[in-house]
Amino acid sequence: MMDGLVEMVEFGQAALEHIDALYGYALALTRNMTEAEDLVQDTYLRAASAAHHPDINGNLKSWLFVIMRNAWLNEVRHKNSGPKFVDLDTSGPPVDQLQETPHVVYLRKLEREQVQQAIESLPDAYREIIVLRDIEGFTYQEIATVLDCPAGTVMSRLGRARGKLRKLLSTWQTKSHAKVV
Amino acid sequence: MQKCEDIRGRLTLYLDDELQGEERGMVEAHLSDCESCAALFARELNFLNAIRKGAPLHVAPPELRLKVEKILRQEHVVEKSRPRRASRMSWLVAAAAVLLLLALPFLVWRVVKQSSVPAVKTSSFALKAADTHLRHMRGQLPLEMESESPQQISSWFLNKVNFSVKLPNYQESSGQEKLYTLEGARLVNYQSDYAAYVAYRMKDRPISLVITSDSVARPSGGEEIQARGLTFHYNAIDGLKVLTWSDRGLTYALVSDLEERGQQSCIVCHEGTKDRDLLEPLKPH
Repeated sequence: MMDGLVEMVEFGQAALEHIDALYGYALALTRNMTEAEDLVQDTYLRAASAAHHPDINGNLKSWLFVIMRNAWLNEVRHKNSGPKFVDLDTSGPPVDQLQETPHVVYLRKLEREQVQQAIESLPDAYREIIVLRDIEGFTYQEIATVLDCPAGTVMSRLGRARGKLRKLLSTWQTKSHAKVV
Repeated sequence: MQKCEDIRGRLTLYLDDELQGEERGMVEAHLSDCESCAALFARELNFLNAIRKGAPLHVAPPELRLKVEKILRQEHVVEKSRPRRASRMSWLVAAAAVLLLLALPFLVWRVVKQSSVPAVKTSSFALKAADTHLRHMRGQLPLEMESESPQQISSWFLNKVNFSVKLPNYQESSGQEKLYTLEGARLVNYQSDYAAYVAYRMKDRPISLVITSDSVARPSGGEEIQARGLTFHYNAIDGLKVLTWSDRGLTYALVSDLEERGQQSCIVCHEGTKDRDLLEPLKPH
């Protein structure tokens, strides 16, 4: 009896650690802050009420991502329409700004905003795979599980997505360096 | 020393930490010996670091965090209340156990009887087709070739799939009003092989046709409908109408959100008057 309760509390704590990652993925899927917040809550609700939770030290994160993706697919299926496109809040996460000079903080913010904007402007499938691999650090096999596709597809799509991202960033960085200098 | 070409082919895997053991050692040894590959590696690493340093790109708003914490707390309460409910209801459980013992011979008879009837389970091919349709609608599966010509699409599949795709063109040959539009095609993965995906649109609603060899997928499950010597399997999957069938070595899945059993979607191949005898049995009775 107590074991179940302890497990549930531990699960809740472990699951909550992934809230930023899930919110980022939700934004990548929905491109809409309100929908992303709803999707995050829906994901936690489904995860918490699931009969069997995975090992909290093991594949909890990818399990939560699979739940989120399936919840989003269901949502789209019900609405029978594509994702809406609206501007995202571009304010970056809080960094330990007290230890850095204003100039370094400014450059870091600029770089993060550029990366963020470049990722946001990628086509849906590319944006999703960049978030899963380069932002969240999932392995190819974990991504294949989340996307329900072969690992070979993950590799090829990731290669194309990075190629596109590289082009975008190199163009933007050239422009911004010119501005800073 | 390994050829630079071989190493560069593995560089992405190495950077993504997907190589182990001997392969990993081989790449590392080469990078310490080859300046040009090492320079390429440094450039790639800088690029990936630039992206990865940006993480996390977003932080969940505090209000959202509070809502999620509440959701997780409520689940604790539910979990906590379960044992209490169980103890209060224990006499009911005991009574149910007695009833179960009394009813056991009848239940065994029912299970044995039902086990002789095949289970109506949706085939994985039907599920895959519905999922593919949905992903295409979401823009996750863009078409690899766009054309309204059945001939062009049929030719595009040559040497890409292990079977022959021949799309008919009933509209053109019959001179009928254009009821549907062919949009294009792409390859999709199914059972470690490629299946053909063809996208149509009728009255602004998408229709998907997924084709594979019948050695890879056989239609099964769902409601069986006999029409013109073929057996169609009809499944309603999350609001989508999926018809699967096999004919002349190929297995097809037609997905739409059209009315009834989606039999209207069959006109992408069967629109002529002579085909009415095929469509009629597919309508619900």
